[in-house]
This record gives sequence, structure tokens and C-alpha cells, in this order.
Amino acid sequence: MTNPDPISAASLDRADSRVRNDESFAGALRGFVDRIRSGDLGMLPVILGLVIISIVFTALNPVFLAPNNLVNLLFDCATVGVISLGIVCVLMLGEIDLSVGSMSGLASAIIGVLWVNTGIPLPLAIIAALATGALVGLVYAVFYTRLGMPSFVATLAGLLALLGMQLYLLGSTGSINLPFQSDLVRFGQIMIMPAWLSYLLAILPGALLLARGWHTSKRRVEAGLAPLAMRLVIAKAVTLTLALGIAAWYLHLGRGIPWMFALFVLIAVVLNYGLTRTKWGRSMFAVGGNREAARRAGINVNRIYVSAFVICSTLAAAGGILGASRLASSSQQAGTGDVNLNAIAAAVIGGTSLFGGRGSAWSAVLGIIVIQAISNGLTLLNLSSSLRYMITGAVLAIAVIVDSLARRSRVTHGRA
Amino acid sequence: MSASMQASAAEPILRLRGISKNFGAVSALTDIDLDVRPGEVVALVGDNGAGKSTLVKILAGVFQPSAGTIEYLGQQVILSGPGKALELGIATVFQDLALCENLDVVANLFLGHELSPWQLDEVGMELRAWSLLRELAARIPSVRQPIASLSGGQRQTVAIARSLLLQPKIIMLDEPTAALGVAQTAEVLNLIERVRDRGLGVIIISHNMEDVRAVADRIIVLRLGRNNGVFTAETTHQELVTAITGAAENSVTRRQKSRSDQAISREAGL
Repeated sequence: MTNPDPISAASLDRADSRVRNDESFAGALRGFVDRIRSGDLGMLPVILGLVIISIVFTALNPVFLAPNNLVNLLFDCATVGVISLGIVCVLMLGEIDLSVGSMSGLASAIIGVLWVNTGIPLPLAIIAALATGALVGLVYAVFYTRLGMPSFVATLAGLLALLGMQLYLLGSTGSINLPFQSDLVRFGQIMIMPAWLSYLLAILPGALLLARGWHTSKRRVEAGLAPLAMRLVIAKAVTLTLALGIAAWYLHLGRGIPWMFALFVLIAVVLNYGLTRTKWGRSMFAVGGNREAARRAGINVNRIYVSAFVICSTLAAAGGILGASRLASSSQQAGTGDVNLNAIAAAVIGGTSLFGGRGSAWSAVLGIIVIQAISNGLTLLNLSSSLRYMITGAVLAIAVIVDSLARRSRVTHGRA
Repeated sequence: MSASMQASAAEPILRLRGISKNFGAVSALTDIDLDVRPGEVVALVGDNGAGKSTLVKILAGVFQPSAGTIEYLGQQVILSGPGKALELGIATVFQDLALCENLDVVANLFLGHELSPWQLDEVGMELRAWSLLRELAARIPSVRQPIASLSGGQRQTVAIARSLLLQPKIIMLDEPTAALGVAQTAEVLNLIERVRDRGLGVIIISHNMEDVRAVADRIIVLRLGRNNGVFTAETTHQELVTAITGAAENSVTRRQKSRSDQAISREAGL
């Protein structure tokens, strides 16, 4: 060591002069612009999309932004949104599940047959539906890991097979009505959180962000690392709290925030924690980014695939149950049509890459709001379903193009 | 040279005796002996097909030898799989590095061995990453960058640092300088010396004779799956090439000869 270290006084992670450590707001803004330009788009397309959608549809029909329409929108988001959370898991590995729509339809048929027709208690019927989902996911995982069947083909076969099972279960009648006074249907159509709880929950994320930021910062200083930029953490927390608070206030001008949407967000929170703060989540990113590297690092790659497929199909079944409660029926139409593509599109629009290794649970939440806003707006305009399909298809195509271009740009900018 | 003097006195960490490996009728390795002592860099050289990679894969637990014994720290061991080799303390840095480009340096260092699996200890891991990189005097600007933004030499550094995380006794490097520029090669060679100075045994495989002679205490030549001599850094390039190709008259010398002949005739023509 001929040259003495002139900067050993600085904390470990600030010792290298090549890294710009600009912690002012201007610095943060510059970092943000750099990220966007290199193709690391994050949530930007979603937020831009929502703004454009709101302006266009409000101009065409002012009802679009009315509080009660937005409450309905949230009810609709929850069903496909839960399915989309599962899609995030398989996309993260660079795989796909094309059968989530059929799986949700089958789950709704199971509820109808077991609960209404056979009289089995609702909780047991729900468990049966979820267990079927888990089993289907396990089968896909075995096909993929043991038999080397591409998930695309395995789940395409599953799409037909599960649809067949749904039709078989429902039999000749084709649809089963769920009792309107039951908790399940009320959950999907009426139940709203009390206002005080909404406001409390609106404050919670910001408060948690602050608390964690403060705690981490303290630990970093104790460990000799540079503290977090607390001003940025505070700014983020305040923005988040304001946005959520205003949203809660606006929705409570109407009916309020549905419990079903709260359940959806709760599942998203749990999944987000799993993906970002546990070894399992780290392994998911690693397998999606470089499968061979993950294997050599000692990760049980097959088990990760099993977990992703099982979570995806189980959440698809959960989405199917919510769908049944929303429609108060189990029908042959449940889970058909655009459910599959909406779930996949939501994840991709929100920023989960189709190529694996990138994504987040929040992408499904934001993405499904965009998708449902479009569908809701088009319904308000009384457009025929032919036009709605075409427009939704175009939006999906645009989302995938943005994903591909952003990925190419990330590669050239060294952001993977 | 003090390190290697001290090394030759110590007991070997790893002792291979009579290792053979057959793939059907083909014997890829025949009767290989190899000792690695603490604080010693052993280079494995040889032409394509000499059996270097097969030997490394046996030590990494990927292949099982057909015959012969492996002693590790005086105990006879069977390396039944990659996990077993890692567990014993034999770490391998493969040529393609096997890093996840979408994850940052800390995540790659700790991949598969994260601290507190149910609530990742990011601060603890980052601290450990910095101290590990600092011990190696490695020049990584930030450990929160994705691997995709690092240069080839920096990636090699991360791969080596990762192999050191589990505190192995021996580290094997497969072609660590193959894809690197001049300055980055020097950095990696420095890194290898620092690892050696920490008392680890280092096995390096390389086609680059200059790099090998710059860093190795002993150079072991494999030819057609057999030991073909043990050399030191003082050995001339000529001698090494002779040992690798198996003849004093070979394509390398013929090429050199024809070039020098051309040069002479060109001078004569002037």
C-alpha cells in the first residue's frame, strides 16, 4: 500500500470520489431524470397514463370522475387485481401463466357448486377453491421443472382443461346465483370501510415510511455508513400521506372505500414485503435475472419455480372467488373473455417486465387501476364490446412496446 | 517470494493423489497429483483438452473422479456435489462469473446466503460487503449499483469477493483475466495476491503465460490429461510452451521461426 488512503475518515460507502452523492432535492430530481432517460421508467408510464385517461374520459363524460364511479372502479379493480398480483410472481421469473382466467372461473364454479348447490359451509368451499388453485399451480411447476414443458404451452393447455372443468361443474344450467343477503355477496357489492378507518389507513404508509427511514438511518450511522437523506424520506412520506388522504376524502364523498379493495391492497402489501424484504424475494429476482447464477449460488431453483406457479394459481382462484362475490353468481362466463389479458396487461403496464427479473407488487395495483379505468370509461361511453376489446388490445400492445424499448435502453445504459 | 518460501514449509490444504477421470473410453485425466498449500498460488496450464477444466470440476464437486484420493486438511474427503465442496471451503469462480445483472453488488455477494432470511438485514449485509471489498482493496464505487453497470474487472472483483464470503480455505479461478484489459488484468492479479496473503490457497487456470508467471508460485502443466512437469515463475516462456505442447519443435516455435526468418530476409533485402 504505497498511497495512503486520504478519505478513510468518510463513511465506508462515501469513500469513492466517482460516485455523486447529491442529497439535495435538486440532486434527487437529477437522479430521477437520469433514471427515466436510461429506461428505468418505474411508475412513470402508469401515472402519465392515469392522468391522460382521466382527462380524456372526464371530457367525454363528467360522470367518470364522480366519487361513486371511482368507488365502483375500486370494486372492479380488486377482482382482476388479485389475479394480477399472482401474474407478477410468474413474470418475475420470465415465465407466464395464461390460464389465470380459467382458473378464476373454475374457482367461482367450485364456490357455486359446493356452497349453493351442495350446502357445504362457505369457508370450506373457499378453502377448497384455493386448494384447487394451489394444486393446479403445483402441476404447472412439475410440468415445467421435471418435464421441461415451457410454461407458455403448459398453461395454454391448462386454459382449456380448466375451462372444461368449469363448464362440467356448472352442468347444463350454466350458472348458479349466489344468495344476495350472504356475507360473500355483500363483501363484493356493498361493504365499505368506516371513514375513520380509511383515514387511519391513509396515514399509516407515510408513518411507517418515516419510522423505517429513521430506524435504518440510525442503524447505518451506528454501522459507520452514511445515513439516509432524511429530507427526501420526509418529502416522500408527506407526499404519500397527502395523496392517500385526499383520495380517501374524495372517495368518502361517495360511498367510501370498499373492504374488497382493502383486501386486495393487503395482499399486495404482503407480496411486496415477500419480494423485497425476504430471502425468497431475493431468490425470485435472482432466478428471473440469471437462472444459472442463482443455481450456482446454492438457491433451489426448482422450489422457487414451484412457489411462483403455486402463488399465481392460488391468487387466480382467490380472484375468481372475489369475482363471484362481485357478480353474485358463478357462471360459464366467469373468467372468460378479457380477464386473462387484463391481469397480464396490468402487471406489465405497472412496470413488471415480461423478460423476468424486474417487477413489484405495486405494479399490479397501479396497472389494474389503469386497465379498469379504461374499461370503466369505455362502458360509460356506451361503446360496444367490439370497440372496447380493440382499445384494450391497443393499450396492452403499447405497454409491451414501452417495456421492450425501456429494456433495450436499460441494457445500453448498464441498468439491466 | 517470502510468501512462497513460507508456503512450501506448511502442510498442504489439499492433496490429490492419482486422480483419474474417464468418460467412457476416453480418459480425460490420468494419475494426477496436486498439492495446494496455504498462502500459495498454483497455476494450472495446458492446451485445450489437457484436462484443466475436468480437474477444476472435480474439485468443485461437479464431477466425481473415477479413481484416486482427495485429502482436505489431512482428511480424505469425497466431493459429492457443489454444495459439499463449498461447505468444506473450496470456492470456485467460474469463467462466466455467474452474477445476476439485475441485482446490486450487495445482493450478489450474499445471494443464497442472505442475513436473516425473513427480514433481510440490508444494513448488516452492506456493512459486511464494504469491509470485504475493503480487505481486498477493491475499487467498487458503490455497492448499491446493479452489476449491469460495472466493468469486467469490477465484476471479476465482485465474483472473487463473493467466493470469499463463506471464508473458504481454497479458491479456484477459471480464466480470471480472459476477458479483461491491461489495467483490469493487473487489478485482478493484485487481488489474487491479496487473497494469497490472507493465507488462502489459490488455484488459477489461465491460457495467458504472462499472467501465470506474474502471480503463480508454482506452475503445473497438464498435457493430455497427465502431469507434465512443475515449474516456477522463473521458468522461461520457451520451456513452458515446450512442456505444454510436448515438443521443443511445435507450432509456436515454427511460427516464431518463420517470422524471424522473414524479418531477417526483409533486412537482407534492404
